[in-house]
Amino acid sequence: MKLLVIEDEPSLLASITRYFRKEQFLCEEATNFADALHKMEDYQYDCIILDINLPGGSGLQLLKLLREDSKNDGVIIISARDSLDDKVNGLDYGADDYLTKPFHLPELSARVKSLLRRKYTNGATAVDVENLHIELNARAVTAAGQTVPLSKIEYDLLLFLVTNKNRVVSRQAIAEHLYDGPSDQAPGPEFVYSHIKNLKRKLKEKGCNEIIHTVYGLGYKLVV
Amino acid sequence: MSRPLQQKNTRILLNWLPLVMLAGSVFFYFLMRGHILHMQEQQLHLKQTNIWRAFLNSPGGMPLSIRGEYDILPDVPLSFRPTDRPRDTVLQFAGCPSEAFSVLTSRVDSKGRSYLVTTYISSTEVTHLMIKIALAEALIFLLLLAAVVIVNRRISNRLWSPFYATMDTIRRYDVRQNKPLHLAADTTVEEFDRLNQTLTSLIDNVDHAYRNQKQFTENAAHELQTPLAIIRSKVELMMEGPGLNEEMAQLLGEISDANERLSQMSRNLLLLTRIENGQYPEGEIVQLSRMVEKQIGFFRDYYENEVAETRVDIESDVQLAANASLIEILVNNLLRNAYLHNVPGGYVQIQLSRTQLLIENSGPPIEGDPERLFDRFKKGREDNRTTGLGLALVHQIGQLYRYRLYYSYHSGIHQLRVRFQPDAF
Repeated sequence: MKLLVIEDEPSLLASITRYFRKEQFLCEEATNFADALHKMEDYQYDCIILDINLPGGSGLQLLKLLREDSKNDGVIIISARDSLDDKVNGLDYGADDYLTKPFHLPELSARVKSLLRRKYTNGATAVDVENLHIELNARAVTAAGQTVPLSKIEYDLLLFLVTNKNRVVSRQAIAEHLYDGPSDQAPGPEFVYSHIKNLKRKLKEKGCNEIIHTVYGLGYKLVV
Repeated sequence: MSRPLQQKNTRILLNWLPLVMLAGSVFFYFLMRGHILHMQEQQLHLKQTNIWRAFLNSPGGMPLSIRGEYDILPDVPLSFRPTDRPRDTVLQFAGCPSEAFSVLTSRVDSKGRSYLVTTYISSTEVTHLMIKIALAEALIFLLLLAAVVIVNRRISNRLWSPFYATMDTIRRYDVRQNKPLHLAADTTVEEFDRLNQTLTSLIDNVDHAYRNQKQFTENAAHELQTPLAIIRSKVELMMEGPGLNEEMAQLLGEISDANERLSQMSRNLLLLTRIENGQYPEGEIVQLSRMVEKQIGFFRDYYENEVAETRVDIESDVQLAANASLIEILVNNLLRNAYLHNVPGGYVQIQLSRTQLLIENSGPPIEGDPERLFDRFKKGREDNRTTGLGLALVHQIGQLYRYRLYYSYHSGIHQLRVRFQPDAF
């Protein structure tokens, strides 16, 4: 999969590309408007991660040009501007998703993968991990053929871990992901642990392997 | 003691004007009296001259005395020298009350004989005249006093009206409202023009400083997000590092926690500043019932293992005219507090009606003054899970929409009530 990351803050850009390269994504970088425009015009990307505030122009302008060019690269806006207007504008201009800075890398990764999934499988899809089968549309989970009854939170949690499989996901990232409102209103991460515990118990009861590991109290990792 | 300017002005006038007028009256009385006495003396002299002339022209044919008019006394000794000044006397007429007269006696020498000529003029009329004039004067002075007070009040009213207008404008001025101050530049009174200019520039400065400070807070909070995002991303990369051991993980966890709190704090500060700046437009209709239900749904699930029971009593279709984002923040913060500051096996109870939102929860008592619960960075408990800005946000939003907040704690139960405006529909 080919990613273009457009972000003017080099350090943040480096973090993002490093994170995605670990999952065998091909990452291209751009730190300014002109550079980004060239790359967008010359190549085709599966997903573009786009910052709005760029030296030389606005990311929204880039998005507009891209869509006018009839290119359907997936676009996720990442912006420090968290006002609703920006979000609405971004989505109006044809962005597929919008993420407010600061975000968690696993969250960005989950958004990118969700976008790619929608893009390449036309929606209806299922995910298989070990002996787990997750029906995304029905939000149903089976372990070795047996239905695992999960609460909404446990399901979201499992899917988030599965999407970020083999990677460490911090408790904060989980807490913010679980809350379906603005990330700055998400509850604290203290109680993620109890949901993980319940999830693990339910999976184990249905004969699923111990795939969720705790990483020194920092976060969790679904190992396949 | 301070009194209104006008009252003070009148008071001073009433204190001093009668004194001045009294002194004036006394002076006027003596002046008038002097003039009248002088006139009387002149008349006496004139009468004397006339009588003497008449006496000389009619030898033997004229009575030597007419009571109340004159006396002519012949052959007075040479040694007798009258004062030649008018003096007062009282004459008694038959059948009449005694009457005051002014008398002038002079010595006249004619053809070797000496005469004393005395003339009389009634002073009763003069006294009556003086009394009448004094009364008229007193009346005029009283009218004058009233006129002065009334005119003075009117004039000062008119003169000070720009001042009162300025005061009124300033009193309604609130630096937080971002509204420019308009003071009349030309009041036709130079002093007031200067006052208005001075006030305008003073308030402009204050306004400027306030804006700068808010801008600074907003910029600072905004700019902080980038380094915070970088730290967060680096910590997340390190979490996956191959060399991660328990000690490092603990350090990373602490860095991460501190970073998250900092990030949350700066976002809340940003929010507070934006609310203060009025950057959240109104005019939306917020479907409060649906919003509260949705939020409760999440919090109930999220805290299901800690908080045993959530009781909900929500009136349907409660609406508010406000900004949806802000109301969401308000509800979110209140609910989060209720769940977070709870006790194992505790409960949260939410009641929503058209007039109020009531959130009740079990929980340990807060430390410190409940009155200051809504202050910034004021925490109920030493707790590093919160930023201390949540209730300040609630307070700020409440203030923006004039909602009233009530908090009470009673034997393990916290109760927070938000009363919406009476005209909430």
